[in-house]
Amino acid sequence: MRASPSAVAEAGGAVPAYHPPQGVHDEMVAPDGTIRAHWAPFFGKLGALGAPEVVRRWEKARHLLHENGVSYNVYGDPRGMERPWNLSPVPVLVDPEEWRSLALGIEQRARLLDRLLGDLYGPQRSLTEEWLPPELVFAHPGFLRAAHGIRVPCGRWLPLYGVDLVRDPTGQWRALADRTQAPSGAGYALENRIVVARALPDLFRTCNVQRLSHFFRSLQESLAGLAPFNRDQPRVVLLTAGPYNATYFEQAYLAQYLGYTLTSGGDLTVRDDRVLLKTLSGLKPVDVILRRVNDDYCDPLALRPDSVLGVPGLVEAVRQGNVALANPLGSGLLQTAAILPYLPRIARHLLGEDLRLPSAETYWCGDAAALSTVLARFDRLVFKPTFAGGFTHPIFASNLSSEERANLRAQILAEPQAWVAQEHIPASTTPLLDGDRLVPRALVLRSYAVSAGEGYAVMPGGLSRVARSADNPEVSMQVGSGSKDTWVLSSAPVGSFSLLPPPSHPVELSRGGGDLPSRTADNLYWLGRYAERAEGIARLARVLTTRLQDAPMDPGTTGDSELEPLFRALAAQTETDVRESAAVEVGRTRLLAEERLLSALFDTEHAGSLVGVGRHVLRVARMVRDRISSDTWRVLTTFDDELRANAPQATWSETQGPNLGETGALLDRTVQALAAFSGLAMESMTRGHAWRFLDIGRRLERATTLVLLLRNAVVERVESEAPLLEAMLDIADSGMTYRRRYLANLHAAPVVDLLLCDESNPRSAIFQLAAMVSHIEALPNPAGPGLRSPQMRIALSILAELQLVEVESLVEADAAGTRTLLRDLLDRLALQVPALSESLSSGYLSHAIVSRHLGAAFDRRAVLGDRSERSEPGDSRSQGERNEA
Amino acid sequence: MKLGIVHRTTYAYADAVSTSHHEGRLAPRDSDQQRTHSHEIVIGPIPTARRERFDFFGNRTLHFSIREPHRILEVVATSIVEINRGRAPDLAASPAWNEVRDRLRQDRRRDVLDAYAFTFEPPLAKPTAALVDWAARSFAPGRPLLEATRELTHRIHSEFTYDPESTDVTTPVAEVFRRRRGVCQDFAHLQIAAMHAMGLPARYVSGYLLTRPPPGRVKLIGADASHARVGTFVPDFGWVDFDPTNDILPSDEHVTIAHGRAFSDVTPLNGVILGGGKHEVRVAVDVDPLP
Repeated sequence: MRASPSAVAEAGGAVPAYHPPQGVHDEMVAPDGTIRAHWAPFFGKLGALGAPEVVRRWEKARHLLHENGVSYNVYGDPRGMERPWNLSPVPVLVDPEEWRSLALGIEQRARLLDRLLGDLYGPQRSLTEEWLPPELVFAHPGFLRAAHGIRVPCGRWLPLYGVDLVRDPTGQWRALADRTQAPSGAGYALENRIVVARALPDLFRTCNVQRLSHFFRSLQESLAGLAPFNRDQPRVVLLTAGPYNATYFEQAYLAQYLGYTLTSGGDLTVRDDRVLLKTLSGLKPVDVILRRVNDDYCDPLALRPDSVLGVPGLVEAVRQGNVALANPLGSGLLQTAAILPYLPRIARHLLGEDLRLPSAETYWCGDAAALSTVLARFDRLVFKPTFAGGFTHPIFASNLSSEERANLRAQILAEPQAWVAQEHIPASTTPLLDGDRLVPRALVLRSYAVSAGEGYAVMPGGLSRVARSADNPEVSMQVGSGSKDTWVLSSAPVGSFSLLPPPSHPVELSRGGGDLPSRTADNLYWLGRYAERAEGIARLARVLTTRLQDAPMDPGTTGDSELEPLFRALAAQTETDVRESAAVEVGRTRLLAEERLLSALFDTEHAGSLVGVGRHVLRVARMVRDRISSDTWRVLTTFDDELRANAPQATWSETQGPNLGETGALLDRTVQALAAFSGLAMESMTRGHAWRFLDIGRRLERATTLVLLLRNAVVERVESEAPLLEAMLDIADSGMTYRRRYLANLHAAPVVDLLLCDESNPRSAIFQLAAMVSHIEALPNPAGPGLRSPQMRIALSILAELQLVEVESLVEADAAGTRTLLRDLLDRLALQVPALSESLSSGYLSHAIVSRHLGAAFDRRAVLGDRSERSEPGDSRSQGERNEA
Repeated sequence: MKLGIVHRTTYAYADAVSTSHHEGRLAPRDSDQQRTHSHEIVIGPIPTARRERFDFFGNRTLHFSIREPHRILEVVATSIVEINRGRAPDLAASPAWNEVRDRLRQDRRRDVLDAYAFTFEPPLAKPTAALVDWAARSFAPGRPLLEATRELTHRIHSEFTYDPESTDVTTPVAEVFRRRRGVCQDFAHLQIAAMHAMGLPARYVSGYLLTRPPPGRVKLIGADASHARVGTFVPDFGWVDFDPTNDILPSDEHVTIAHGRAFSDVTPLNGVILGGGKHEVRVAVDVDPLP
């Protein structure tokens, strides 16, 4: 079936002409201008839908992407952290027959590189038989001497493989680069699929798209098969390079999807050559590590001494065969384009087969013949360093000035081995939706293969990336290219498939929540604390905002006396300078008060402000991304967006000065979002340790906030207390209860009772302590069964003190108007609550300590042969960035 | 000659170390020229796990970890070796350096290939243009490899000042070259970089050197030290070592511990610790002639 573009335009009436450039292959339109057959059903349906509808749906999909927090970190960009993932709606469609042959090529290539790695880390026949120049191994920083001679599980050197593909003008797919170390992007491919299928469900159904889930199932099976122990239920973890890595989102997403614990190097330890995961319930043996940390960063003892991402002793554990690493140590060796020219020959020798999937025409300049070709064709080539240490931009000679060209030429002649040149392949184009028009953009497809039995299973699809503009030939997420879903079509209807095992597979019932690494517990604890802190600040500020709005315009009149203690409490909660806030009571001008309030909320320079605390909430949440449901994540991003987007308007209006109306509305929404967050945690998290630590953090913070509030507002009795007491009740969300019990009679004793000692009030201090006692009871007890842990002792002593309080005498004031008993009680609490926090940290969360490299002991006579001063723990940010993207 | 060696390393930590992992290369290498009579390593506190293996370069490597909290770690390696180097090679009879260079690029026999792996820069030693020019002065085309290398060794000795204050283990070769100062480790790295610049194989050899007190003085305990020298490869003959610090070819008083591309491959003792705070390390080596 063939249809011309104009016919489609007629059908949909809204898709204008699409003009692929001359001289390249276009995925959708054949050279004669007709639509390729496999695109026709899709395009017909798209036309029927109409561009405005597609655009409308896509807005929704983008919203979904944003709320799900799909992101990519771009290095060296101030906005780089968490750049929103760039996905566009029109997928790349691949014909089933064509894919079958491409998949065979990918499969063969994976087998070939697997065998080649085994050879180079073993007998090295490829070198002695002259199939590969030895320089490409010996001079390669990725040739890990420590990995030579290691026996890998099942003899598999390449459990997971990724390859970048482009299609040349003749329609032939060619491999541009191989990813053999820690291929990234499979998780993004999955996320893209979910979003696109949700936005265009009817198209997705019509087109018989092959599902991706089989691939991930094979990945799970393959990794489980590598386990040296516990073959039935191996513990697999995903070792991440951390939140600063380009693809951290994907790592967390994959861990969650595959059911693996997301771990950083600090979560693992090696004992007796076994890798163990530090969890709250002790050390748990790890059988397989799916790693996203580069080879040389994996072990600071045996490899890079400055690595803070690795696990000391890991190499020895691997060598003893006690843990499987996927991909194995040293597999980064093949990540150089310099080996491409030699692959056909190696394939014939190692596999006895001809290479099916050709590479881009590549020259390694270290070869004399290749170099002379390169010099002759210089202007038409693309240059890359032979051994790139990280992300590098390819150099297109055609884009250089003649002076730059001469410089590059000189560099290459000086050090030819250090350079690789490739023929520039004018990549095929594929339609990209730009506004309501389709425009052609260059395409690079990354696909994946995972070992399965003797061979490999290839992902039917992959991560398609398209150039940002028509004239930029470079395609990489690092330069802002967009991504697309890839639809490999099937000639027959496709059934649905879930990652959960089929019903015939017997499943052991489990009530556990998997392992909780101590570091994760630490982050959840802080997530609870920061979220509660933000809520406390917002509640207090909301009351202040209302009171300020109601206060008479005239400065220096009554009403200020009520606000002054609240301002002190706000200063304490936001950790702003107390002297500064004292200016409020001295200056007493309304404007000043408003400015103080706004700066406590929106000062981005100050970590304790509402905005600052909000940033902490997001930062910590990001580190436990794999523990947070997408609903919860959406609530958090909405909270963050609200705060960021509306803070400026809320702060100041050109005409009216401080804009309290906006501020009040914003605080309302903030309180609601945070309430939604706690509600979701309450209703959707299983009562495991993860939930407990989140809740402990929240309870502890709430108790702290209450103590601060009471200490600042109620200890010194003021002339007319009623407005202040009312404000207190509002802040603690206890006004309704109070009025029901006591009607409108505002007195200190019942207010203090309600906020401090009423065990039925979920906002009272005693309620927080009671909740913590029950949490601590449920945690593993380091003191041993039957004994009280130190944490329990502190919590119980605070609880007992609150239970024994006699409220009437507590609120009695001395001659100077000070409630001394209340003051002393609150001061004691102000010491004990933080002590409880300390004790919880040291008892349960102390695994977060990072190990250090000692440096080499080398005697230099008078000099201390030691570099302790230089071996400061490395910077996890820069190391995270330097790991593979 | 028979030599007794005691190599004592002591780490003192300000705070307790709860867990530590270490890797040591302290055992003498056996070869045609050196035989180990006895070797033992005593560690305090007693490690929870220890294992010995040979590393990629064939060095005996000891792995151990300690899980008992400790403030002091002491590692004492005691060895007795017998060294008999025989007659020194005839330097002038060695093949021309440029022939050796070219042959390494072509010949794929195992031993030559293994030597070829030693012609590439180790991490610390990327040669500058000035260093390349300087090295080339000893390598006139056609000159026998060992003769040229001997002269390079001599030039390092005469043009550079031994100065323990001037560098530390992280000083890059370019810096050593610029300042014309350093210690044996720096001179070894410098010579390796110079040989690499000529396309020649060179390796780092760690070990010890028997020292004698000045006449009339008593030798101080612990006054010896680890010593570094350099080896290069002659096809069909083998590796030949040079000592640029002392401007000599190794004698029966040079003990060999480990080979590698650079110091970082043969670090005598390194480790990763949990806890510990600030630490100090002390190393004392005694090499004594035995009857």
